[in-house]
Amino acid sequence: MSLTLINAIKKLHISAVSQIRLCSAVSNSVHNVDNDNSSLSVIRKEWKFPPQYTKPREVWIENLDTINEKKLGLFELHPLVYAVLPRIDIIHRNVIWQKKFRWVSWAHTKTRAEVSGGGRKPWPQKGLGRARHGSIRSPLWRGGGIAHGPRSGKTHFFMLPFHLRIHGLTSTLSAKFAQDDLHIVKDLEVPTEDPEYFVDLIEQRNWGPSVLIVDDNDYAPRNITLATDSLQHVNIIPFYGLNVYSMLKHDTLVMTQTAAERIEEKILQHLHSNTMQQQAKFKLSQV
Amino acid sequence: MGSRQITEKSLAMLRSLPRLSLGNIRDNPGSRRNPKRGRGQHGGDKHGAGNKGSGQRQNYMRLGYETGNNPFYLRMPHEQYYKGHHHRRQYPPISLHEIQKLIDTNRLDISKPIDIASIVRSGLYNFFPDQKHFGIHLTDEGVDIFAAKINIEVQWVSEPVIAAIEKNGGVITTAYYDPHSLMLLKNPKSFFQSGQAIPRRMIPPPDVIEYYTSAEMRGYLADPEKISQERLRLSQKYGYQLPVLENDQNYNMLCERKDPRQIFYGLEPGWVINLRDKCILKPKDEELIQFYSS
Amino acid sequence: MEWLSSTILKSLWRPTVNIVRTRYHADKTRLVRRYGYEEKIWSGGLMPRSEGRRLPMPEYRPLNPWTERRALFGQNDYIDILGSGDLHPVKTLYTLPSWIKGVSGHEYHILLRKKKMFARTGAPVMRPTKWKEYEKRLSFLYRKLNRKTKTGPSST
Repeated sequence: MSLTLINAIKKLHISAVSQIRLCSAVSNSVHNVDNDNSSLSVIRKEWKFPPQYTKPREVWIENLDTINEKKLGLFELHPLVYAVLPRIDIIHRNVIWQKKFRWVSWAHTKTRAEVSGGGRKPWPQKGLGRARHGSIRSPLWRGGGIAHGPRSGKTHFFMLPFHLRIHGLTSTLSAKFAQDDLHIVKDLEVPTEDPEYFVDLIEQRNWGPSVLIVDDNDYAPRNITLATDSLQHVNIIPFYGLNVYSMLKHDTLVMTQTAAERIEEKILQHLHSNTMQQQAKFKLSQV
Repeated sequence: MGSRQITEKSLAMLRSLPRLSLGNIRDNPGSRRNPKRGRGQHGGDKHGAGNKGSGQRQNYMRLGYETGNNPFYLRMPHEQYYKGHHHRRQYPPISLHEIQKLIDTNRLDISKPIDIASIVRSGLYNFFPDQKHFGIHLTDEGVDIFAAKINIEVQWVSEPVIAAIEKNGGVITTAYYDPHSLMLLKNPKSFFQSGQAIPRRMIPPPDVIEYYTSAEMRGYLADPEKISQERLRLSQKYGYQLPVLENDQNYNMLCERKDPRQIFYGLEPGWVINLRDKCILKPKDEELIQFYSS
Repeated sequence: MEWLSSTILKSLWRPTVNIVRTRYHADKTRLVRRYGYEEKIWSGGLMPRSEGRRLPMPEYRPLNPWTERRALFGQNDYIDILGSGDLHPVKTLYTLPSWIKGVSGHEYHILLRKKKMFARTGAPVMRPTKWKEYEKRLSFLYRKLNRKTKTGPSST
């Protein structure tokens, strides 16, 4: 029994290693192809919080101004944000929180007290051979009130702990990055405002139909805004609007270089500072 | 297998798995148990009587009840030992040990005078001025290991704490703040954003005037001459060599004190701090200057 | 003689006698219950509605998962982490009325808060019936929660 288990573990190990080799081989080949361009910018970062135990992840900077993909340079991402343990359960809890904390059920029924009428006793208590009733709006009656019905304004509000939400973001970013669904682009400049261009681009680069574009400020360039305006499944949000639900809803996440840096900077800052205030129990008066 | 390998392996595994989406995530199995629904009107409970036996079948009178007599425990007149205790001033404690920890972990900057604002800013101490908290009581836990030269201002201390700080060449002052100025010290940013002028600090109430004017307690209203005498006396009492302040290279920092009417270091009452334009507006009207300088 | 003639008559003339029972209730036809009613549920055996008309298949209208509201669901939920730190995600729930934004609790809590916040407005005068219903419901819930229920089932 134990022997088979050991064998299984060995197999698992071997398979994992081969996959890593595979992907490294792929990236090498791409690198060779792009060496012909000889215009790659390799950026080494000045880390405010240098990665301690793992190496920074390298990622290609891509372009958006041609349909075919061009690699413009290499870029480093912090492993504490883009390569953490992808906890699926934490991602799930984040999604549930996002759905629930805004959810208010407005379903409403009237009780027997609120349905109008019904103050008079419909017939005498005794002597008619009929069942005794005190009000025509009793829940037993047709047109009467509802007992234990939904009452308007039922909330499902709760706050997920601060660090669980940070972990949700980093887990999702890491999972997206590990599955090659996260792409870093230099900027959002596109040559035309034609939606067809963007459809072709997504098709060509195999980005899946839906794309979430994350910009670093509130105003995206004119061309990309017009090009994606009619495509409902291509959305642009500023970096502070990033969230777990949207990342999972869209197939591919496309971030500008600055947006990726800003997100990294914000999360690292919270991971390395005193967050007692944010961790405190949620009180209505605080917001 | 270390956690790093776990991370690398699971990320490598994700590469060969389908794309993570809203449809294929789930919580850990068994992490959530559905709430039970009890049967019956009150969810099948025992109506507070417990399970079987004497609790359900016997009648116990409540403790001390004497079937209609004036009970024994009510017969005596009551001495209100804690009468009015909730109106008294409270000083939530922080120990020297904790102060040392804050300094060692770079949460307190000892190159500047330390007051309640900087201690609250470290994030490991909290108090609530609206709950009769009147500032910090610096306690003597960790007097033996305390080894920092600081200029600290607290609201309540004891003698060994003063000795421990002065032994290291530091300076301590006890100062009174009224609840409103404590509110400002606790959260200066929100006050500055409100655009009001910094008020004057109130003078202490009569029952603590004595404490804050006494040189033994290093009160902020005490005579500086007497304080230096007391420093010497305390060093002789506890048997340590009192470091000479004048020879210290941080002499200016160690001598920095707030005015009895001042709340923030470097900011005077009457000033308005404009955070957006990053400038300070000072009063020019004679009457205002007169008012705030008093 | 008379006796003889009567016996002969009896033996010759035998009229048929029908014994009639009067069945008052069964024969009453004043009220016919459910006259003209056709049973719509098929009780004959398998295959309901084998003879009647079939219900029309509802037209399949898939909902568009990429309307603006659905596509951008959850935006700014992490604004306290990724933003400047001044804004809490609860403050971005612009579609909710203020009295329920970020509130958790059961009906009594929420109604109490709602009433408290409405008391300052013109609601008690402008909508007296609604106001009366709030008060009535609150007093009902107060009595129910405090006098008629315990908190949860006991462990034993």
